[in-house]
Amino acid sequence: MIELIATAESIDQAKALVRTGVDTLYIGEDEFGLRLPASFSQQEIEEITKFAHTKQKQVCVAVNAIMHNDRIKKVIPYVQFLQQIGVDSITVGDPGVIHLLKKNDIKIPYIYDAHTLVTSANQVNFWAKRGATKAVLARELTFEELKIIASEVTIPIEILVYGATCIHQSKRPLVKNYFNFTEQHEQETKDLFISEVKKPDTHYSIYEDMNGTHVFATDDINLMPHLESLVHAGITQWKLDGIFTKGNHFVEIARLFVEAKTALQQGNWTNKVMEHLNSQLIDLHPNERTLSEGFFLKDPEDVK
Amino acid sequence: MRTITKKPEVLAPAGTLEKLKIAIHYGADAVYIGGNAYGLRSRAGNFTYDEMREGVEFAKKHNAHVYVAANMVAHEGDVEGAGDFFRTLRDIGIRAVIVSDPALIEICAMEAPGLPIHLSTQASATNYETLNFWHEEGLERVVLAREVSMDEIAEIRQKTDVEIEAFIHGAMCISYSGRCTLSNHMSARDANRGGCSQSCRWKYDLFEMDELGGRQSLLDGGDELEDFSMSAVDMSMIHHIPDFVENGVDSLKIEGRMKSIHYVSTVTNVYRQVVDAYCEDPDHFEFKQEWEDELWKVAQRELATGFYYGTPTENQQLFGKRRKIPKYVFAGQVLDYDEETQIATIQQRNNFAVGDEVEFYGPGFTHIKQIVEQLWDEDDQPLNRARHPMMTIKMKVDTPVQPLNIMRKRK
Repeated sequence: MIELIATAESIDQAKALVRTGVDTLYIGEDEFGLRLPASFSQQEIEEITKFAHTKQKQVCVAVNAIMHNDRIKKVIPYVQFLQQIGVDSITVGDPGVIHLLKKNDIKIPYIYDAHTLVTSANQVNFWAKRGATKAVLARELTFEELKIIASEVTIPIEILVYGATCIHQSKRPLVKNYFNFTEQHEQETKDLFISEVKKPDTHYSIYEDMNGTHVFATDDINLMPHLESLVHAGITQWKLDGIFTKGNHFVEIARLFVEAKTALQQGNWTNKVMEHLNSQLIDLHPNERTLSEGFFLKDPEDVK
Repeated sequence: MRTITKKPEVLAPAGTLEKLKIAIHYGADAVYIGGNAYGLRSRAGNFTYDEMREGVEFAKKHNAHVYVAANMVAHEGDVEGAGDFFRTLRDIGIRAVIVSDPALIEICAMEAPGLPIHLSTQASATNYETLNFWHEEGLERVVLAREVSMDEIAEIRQKTDVEIEAFIHGAMCISYSGRCTLSNHMSARDANRGGCSQSCRWKYDLFEMDELGGRQSLLDGGDELEDFSMSAVDMSMIHHIPDFVENGVDSLKIEGRMKSIHYVSTVTNVYRQVVDAYCEDPDHFEFKQEWEDELWKVAQRELATGFYYGTPTENQQLFGKRRKIPKYVFAGQVLDYDEETQIATIQQRNNFAVGDEVEFYGPGFTHIKQIVEQLWDEDDQPLNRARHPMMTIKMKVDTPVQPLNIMRKRK
């Protein structure tokens, strides 16, 4: 069973995504979750959850930040609130949170999501033994590796099929530090990029928030052309990340994946269908950003 | 008079067997090394099992410990043979392994019971509940993330019983360790499997991009355009050792398995002095400027205190004109000294000559300055210059020096 999991940037967009047919909304607030398109208040999370549930859809809340002492103290009240309003699952990347969930007898299922650190079936199974119901895999995995992992894990695995890949998280305010050094005013924008001096075509998104500085890969991921391979490999938890794809464009891209899911499940998936959906996706994707399949088609030996 | 009986361990890096012996000789309570697999320094000198045996034997004689870093984030197939590896390490007498990947932790715990496990800084442990989690998993020690502040350490110490290790000196990742794949994406080399290409230290353009892809560079800096960079200065906690001791940190870690003998001996020697001086009489401890001066002789970048006392500003990044740090080189190592003739036998490590001013230093922070007056080769033939790597020479040194003393020279 294919599950489409999509981020949301507003209550309106969340509702549109639900109506479009995504299965799960992935939302949260910056204090507990990483790299979200929007930081929602508890009230907003409650409203979105209620709406999703009226349409028989699910909500997963990000609790996957790297927690320091001040934040780990706030985790249990937050998660108790999420449990009380009926949130269906949370993501967790810090073992301290896992420790607290168990100690406080929290029943809300957790998905292990430590980004770069989830690279093998053994790791996934380690967290499964400690209660994880699912795991989000690192973006630096090739399809060759994904197939092996999928055949050996004891819980479902989730991968990114559309959106940006974070490749660096610093606790330092790297952009602010640069502006301070060069005595410029700080930019209030998420549209900053860096490029390698030797590869001027590169354009790595960079921004700061309360979790530090985040840098993203030059290409956003698009696995639309490879969805059938994923289904065959048994990898059917698909995340769509809209952090850099705004508003209705993201909803429309989600709609394409909903159509793809339907076609795949009904046996109507053909190369022509795929190409039709993919060309629409490319049109909807922000002009200034580029798409590729990331590490998916690479030879594991070439990226060691 | 108050004294501190529970001294923190001084933990030094050792890229080779020679560095292991030097680090211990210069005062390290423990060293960490790499094996031939599962580590993060694929290009550092790594130890064969035989070298580990010799290293452990040497360490035991000096009441020191040897840890092995096996801190890669493994992919499918990478953990093959790890059970045998950990068992062999245990049987050799390795005191503990430093691991970050839960799969490797599990293999080690199952297949090599009795071999203590330390959580690597790669796992970014930043709060006390994370330490409690790993303690319950049976780990002996957690190496804290370099992003943890001194106040946070104090609270962590109060709320956990697991051993705490913290970095006190050396180069820093600018990211949370383990959470950076710049190298994977920019150089096709896996940062978490020993391939880090240090992309963070490269130069970048910083720009805004409009919806049509038009770019507006934000590089500035007045007359000389300053590139955007993510390069951190190095850490030195030389002025703050009392904070670690008073907060009950168990192990003080010096970074740098790739660093030279000159570096490892110097840095270890300094921190040994500071830890001993403070613990012996904490209430009358006085900082000696010569400790800091000594560290500058091997410094490669500016030095700062990282995250210990606040979030690092632009002053802890490598922007602008770099200050020239005087460079010293490892000129030679003392093999022998004849007190009657005042002749030292020295193994050459870098070119030096008659007329040069050199400095000998040894464990216990001894320092002797000397002008090279006369040089002879092994056959007592006079020389002007010791040119050949590893050649044995003799020279007059007015004050007695000891075998394994190191002779340095300003570049």
